[in-house]
Amino acid sequence: MKASIRSGLVIGWRQLFESLLSPGFYIMLSVGLALGSVLVAGFTGSIGSSGFDPQASPLYDLISRSLSGAFGSTFVEKLFAEGPFLFALVAAFLPVSVYLAIASVFRFAQERSAGAVELLVYGPADGTSYILAAFLKDLILSAVSLAFIAAAFAVEAALTNLLLGPLFLWALAALFLLSASFFAYGLLCSIVVVSSSSAIALFLGISLVFSLVFAGSFTIVGAPVRTLSSTAAAFLSWISPFFYAGMIFRGVQAGSQGAVLAGLLLLAFLSALLVLAGRLIIDAKGVRA
Amino acid sequence: MIRTRGLVKRYGAFTAVNGIDLNIPRGEIYGFLGPNGAGKTSTIMMLLGITPPTAGEIHLFGERYSPRRLDLRRRIGVVPEKHPRGVWHWMSAAEYLRLFADIFEVPRPNERIGMLLEKVDLAAFQKRRIRDFSRGMLQKLSIIRALLADPDILFLDEPISGLDPLGIKQVRDLILSENREGRTIFISSHQLSEMEKICDRVAIISRGRLIAEDAMERILSRISSDREIRVELETVPAALPARVKGLPFVRDAAAEGTVLTVKIPREGDFRKPLAEFLISQGLVALSLAEKALSLEEAFITITQENVVELAERGRE
Amino acid sequence: MRKAFAVLLLVAAPLSLARADVPVRTEQLIYSVIAFNGRDYTPTFAPESSRAIYLLAGADSFISLRKTLVYFWPLTGRLQTDTQTLNEQLDGTLEVRDRRGRVFRSISLQRYTFFNVRGEYEQNWKVAVDADAEREYQRYLSLYRSFMKSIDDYTRANTEYLAKLKEMSDRIESLKASGRDVRALQEKMSSVPRPRQPDEPADYVVPPAPLQQAFVVNLPPGQYRVRLINPDGSIMEGSDKRIICTTPRRSGSVGYQVIPSDKWTRPEESKTPSAVIYVNGSADLYVSVFFQDELNDLAYQKTLDNAARGNPNVFSWVRIQQVPHASLRMSGADGTASVLDERPFTVQQSQGSSLGYTIVPYDPQGGQKSPDLMAFRVPVSTGTRLIRLSAVDNGGKPLPESGRQIRIVSPEVPSLVFALLAIIPLAAMIVVLAMRRRYSRQGTTPQAE
Repeated sequence: MKASIRSGLVIGWRQLFESLLSPGFYIMLSVGLALGSVLVAGFTGSIGSSGFDPQASPLYDLISRSLSGAFGSTFVEKLFAEGPFLFALVAAFLPVSVYLAIASVFRFAQERSAGAVELLVYGPADGTSYILAAFLKDLILSAVSLAFIAAAFAVEAALTNLLLGPLFLWALAALFLLSASFFAYGLLCSIVVVSSSSAIALFLGISLVFSLVFAGSFTIVGAPVRTLSSTAAAFLSWISPFFYAGMIFRGVQAGSQGAVLAGLLLLAFLSALLVLAGRLIIDAKGVRA
Repeated sequence: MIRTRGLVKRYGAFTAVNGIDLNIPRGEIYGFLGPNGAGKTSTIMMLLGITPPTAGEIHLFGERYSPRRLDLRRRIGVVPEKHPRGVWHWMSAAEYLRLFADIFEVPRPNERIGMLLEKVDLAAFQKRRIRDFSRGMLQKLSIIRALLADPDILFLDEPISGLDPLGIKQVRDLILSENREGRTIFISSHQLSEMEKICDRVAIISRGRLIAEDAMERILSRISSDREIRVELETVPAALPARVKGLPFVRDAAAEGTVLTVKIPREGDFRKPLAEFLISQGLVALSLAEKALSLEEAFITITQENVVELAERGRE
Repeated sequence: MRKAFAVLLLVAAPLSLARADVPVRTEQLIYSVIAFNGRDYTPTFAPESSRAIYLLAGADSFISLRKTLVYFWPLTGRLQTDTQTLNEQLDGTLEVRDRRGRVFRSISLQRYTFFNVRGEYEQNWKVAVDADAEREYQRYLSLYRSFMKSIDDYTRANTEYLAKLKEMSDRIESLKASGRDVRALQEKMSSVPRPRQPDEPADYVVPPAPLQQAFVVNLPPGQYRVRLINPDGSIMEGSDKRIICTTPRRSGSVGYQVIPSDKWTRPEESKTPSAVIYVNGSADLYVSVFFQDELNDLAYQKTLDNAARGNPNVFSWVRIQQVPHASLRMSGADGTASVLDERPFTVQQSQGSSLGYTIVPYDPQGGQKSPDLMAFRVPVSTGTRLIRLSAVDNGGKPLPESGRQIRIVSPEVPSLVFALLAIIPLAAMIVVLAMRRRYSRQGTTPQAE
């Protein structure tokens, strides 16, 4: 195995161990699960004699009104068609993924400033090893979190007789790859700027822009409009993980497995591209802060 | 072992390293000196493969070296000036060493770690977390980390900085011990008194250029071709310096208080004839000692000469 | 003087505010649209500010250009037209150009009507133009007049019948009072034939609309530009508009309407093919099956109402018509299967002081002329966990995407269970940290192998 990759695996394993010793991961997972469980419980409480009635629950009344106002009632209907778990999954995974991303951004920049990366690179490792280590660590923790959340939801589904349908499984895959893209963006931010606070600010800024562009493109409109901002948004879409998530959603809507797989592959490709970009930049800039 | 030819490093319009040729044979303790901003760090970074040179070549173990030669990097152990603060603090000493042992693919790592910890008297602390280590313990840990893969070359950057006298002695002994086992040692430090004690050869770099590279003795002799002998007398007659100057082996003589300073050639030992002369003058020498030439003086002299030379070149 | 001025101001101020509430009407050239949306025809209009008209491709829709007054009505938050004040329909030819600007079609004004003929399927829309339209409308009018005459005749006959019954009843009473035998008279009374209420003409589900003039537009899918060419050949200024014609992404899928027996006025629809019908098991379900098409949400909403908003990234399932002669296959979690037939039902108000109603099978001999609903009765109880449904046509062929699950949800799961699941990571954290601490203290730190 190539030395840098091998070293990356060794370093990544240690980073994973360190993360598992950190309370933050468990706390965020608990927070996410609590949020998801509240949503599941609220859903079961909203079931009437003819079906799901959001107005029967204040929480779901608020959620459905807000989402309908932004994305239309059809979107809300599709979101809860199979049950609460799709929405609950996103809500449960969000705290964990945000924590993992920001912690990685902070840690990478901090270790680079402290000279840890340089120390590792004195040996048979290079910038690629360190990027790979951080990325793999986040992927594994993300997968573990999703698996745990899925298991918890499976228990809740069994207890309440709700269904974990095929859409839920697609969503697991999509969220995993979506988070991978954001982890890659985070690493890129840590590489581009030196200080950890600047890296976090840059990462949050990028995430916010992508979120706004996506939300803007997915909201209900009076008519399709072409303006300078929508043109800029169209360009940004190609580098936004949410664009490919939207592609997956549209594929699921259309019942097209091909479109869904294409979206998943493109998400994976985007992540790989970002990691490669990070590697090129760190090779050019050097590992010294 | 390490050889460079015409090594150059430029950062934009600024040339940090301007055509350095180094030659570090196997088994030497090689000192690398230079004032602040001389280009030391840039040179070391290139030798370690952290940054690529703008021009020139580096040969390591007889092979052309570049940052991509991770296989050659296995044979180098590096002890940086500072241990990264706040990183890996959750690890115990043994875990910390095991991380690097795994990166270097050290065979029978636990055995090797145990042996090295014993060597530096840290075996009792192997389960202690790094964050609880003192500065000296961290430095020793850093050194044995660099020794894990049994490297052919050990790079040390300010290895005794911040250590107490006992720590300094321990590190010095360790370096000398490793050198006796055949390891080539490359040290960069501002602690010139220590460098003088352990280095076989030194290189002095100033303003991006290598201005001296030679065995320690020859570097020291560049300060002066004379030796200086200080004689403390009960009394120093006024005419004594002139009389001493008249001796065939004396280059110069001067008196200050009760101390007579005599300059004699480096070749030959003229302390006995001098002592006999003083006795013949009816004088009693309370002490007679040769003033040691110091690397610090050599360093300052050489670098100042270089500054003057560059200034004159500039005027021309 | 000052006092008088202040009084005048106090009086005038509310008046000025009242004047400010009156919406400002502006004369505009609008496109009046009666568009087919897959189920029926809905009217809407596109004011000057609207960039596009949305139509369903391959279906007749009716467009006319008018000059009218348009104003914003704050109560509804929408633009309205004041056709009572001004409603001038413009003459000319509607020129339709494709994306390349080439003239695709030129459409002239035509008299038209549209109607839905009763048949096996709910949707039997027909459009007639010019002479055919006139003919169809006249046919409807004659049917209507005939029916109204039948109503008049029935009313007269019924009045006579009731009068006769009253007369006979009075006679029976008086004979009873005088102690005479009234049986024969009672028999005679019960044999008096009751006039039969005339049936409404069954030809139409939706009768022909009164004849009007418009451009009958039926375009293939795509985007077009339209404008009005005046009779003199000039282009009507301000008449340039886009027309966007869309088709369903998918057609012929099957959705379900679910009516619980305890809330029949609040049916739910299950349209997404992968949807699950979650119920609490407190009431039986009355299910009907319909065909549906999948249309772009924005395009569909704007076909219904040009001022509506929609999500261009989402596709909605739109109910088209009930599936005729379908059967429902039902199977439980234990695999037992049965076939349900669609039956008529009526809703009966509960008797006495209790509120509510019950759904019962329709009795043609009962007082109700027609059933309240045609549906499949799916028995549900809290003991049931899962019911699988799938619809088949009258040939026994499964209908596409008609599989659904009905799951009876157990909401009584204690919240403690959910809380425990959420706490598991924290418990794991405590265990991990404790183990680490113990090993560190004991000096047997686990290696990260």
